[in-house]
Amino acid sequence: MNLLLWVGVALAGGAGALLRFLVDGQVSARVGRSFPYGTLVVNVSGAVALGLLIGMTLRPETVLLAGTGAVGAYTTFSTWMFETQRLGEDRQLTGLLSNIVVSLLAGILAAEVGAEVGRALGGAL
Amino acid sequence: MTTYFGERQRVGDRFFADAQLELFGRHEIATSVLLRGISGFGAKHQLRTDRLLTLSEDLPLVSVALDSRAKIEAVADELSDLAHRGLVTLERARLVRDELGSIELPEELREATKLTVYVGRQERVYRAPAFAAICELLHRRGVDGATVFLGVDGTSHGRRSRARFFATNAEVPMMIIAVGTGQTIARVLPELGGLLRRPMVSVERVRVCKRDGELINRPHPLPCRDHLGTPLWQKLMVYTSERSRRGGEPIHRALVRRLRASAARGATVLRGIWGFHGQLPPHGDRIWQLGRSVPVCTIIIDSPDRIGASFDIVDELTTEHGVVTSEMVPALAWVTEDRPTSRPRLARHRF
Repeated sequence: MNLLLWVGVALAGGAGALLRFLVDGQVSARVGRSFPYGTLVVNVSGAVALGLLIGMTLRPETVLLAGTGAVGAYTTFSTWMFETQRLGEDRQLTGLLSNIVVSLLAGILAAEVGAEVGRALGGAL
Repeated sequence: MTTYFGERQRVGDRFFADAQLELFGRHEIATSVLLRGISGFGAKHQLRTDRLLTLSEDLPLVSVALDSRAKIEAVADELSDLAHRGLVTLERARLVRDELGSIELPEELREATKLTVYVGRQERVYRAPAFAAICELLHRRGVDGATVFLGVDGTSHGRRSRARFFATNAEVPMMIIAVGTGQTIARVLPELGGLLRRPMVSVERVRVCKRDGELINRPHPLPCRDHLGTPLWQKLMVYTSERSRRGGEPIHRALVRRLRASAARGATVLRGIWGFHGQLPPHGDRIWQLGRSVPVCTIIIDSPDRIGASFDIVDELTTEHGVVTSEMVPALAWVTEDRPTSRPRLARHRF
């Protein structure tokens, strides 16, 4: 653990947060519905990315930078929960439940697919 | 005067909203109030909503200012120099302050009347909050509906008061909009005068288009210009509740989605804190409830040739609930960065 790594995590985190802002904004503005597709896309794609990183068994510093820093800042638990609560305020029970169930199932599947692909790639390298 | 802006807009080193209300304070505007919208879109059809975190960064702000014509025109002039982007409309309203004893409504107000009452946040009537007491009275007297909006800034009798996080905010204004027949409103006015210490109300002519799903009248068919060639505009106000739903989602959400997909020029949704329409008694939110039940109001402004299409969408979505009114907007100005805006001229048209 050195200063360089700390700065690296901060920078990667910043980039991840920015990327989320762009992706979520684009998806939400395109779809224009009250169901939070933007956050779903962000979280599922983040799960694929993290699965990939872990599957590839890289050096611990790289995993810290890309995984904790970038993907950690890119994906968001709080927004997922916040937008689910807002669906509840609108009495959209179907939306509320599907936001939880779909996010969970798609997330696990995405992480699994990412890990498999990562292992295949890691073996090839 | 009503203005519609994004809340992130800045003038120099401060927010436009702050600069605007400072202007109202400097001109000692009789009454004005700044309201935060919960969703909407403008001429560019860019959606803003409090539902999604990323799209909630620049929600709409609506300000309403009432005073004599000369004062409002002076303020409107300064305002269009100040702003970069937004919408300013001027409306004719009759302002009644302090003396609410015997008011004789002119003939044209007898059709249907929009009554707006301005009170302070902490104002009380016989120990009850003033806004709740007023709603109770309006409901009992058979007014079609009333909605209470919480202001975050404003002027009252010419003095500005802005809401702060750690303060009692007693003087910060609230706005109560009620719609009823001219006779009902005329009967309620003296009673309101008896309830409030320094009443400040305005009355405007509107047309009630729908009530509880029943189509009463379509909006007035107005020409796009008056006899002197000044453009006319029209405003629809749709009063519904967070509780009234259409295909699973609240009516106002469906409305914004459908209007945004159409050729409508814009819509803004304001959320009230208390109110009623139709048979339901006045209600608001309770603590520890997930689903909200406060009243909401969707404002749609467009030219007379396009308002009909928007009304069809409104009509389709309000088959069971809600009150829909239409009124004439005699002057409107889009404020844009690339084009200098001149103060809109008031159109004259009798109908």
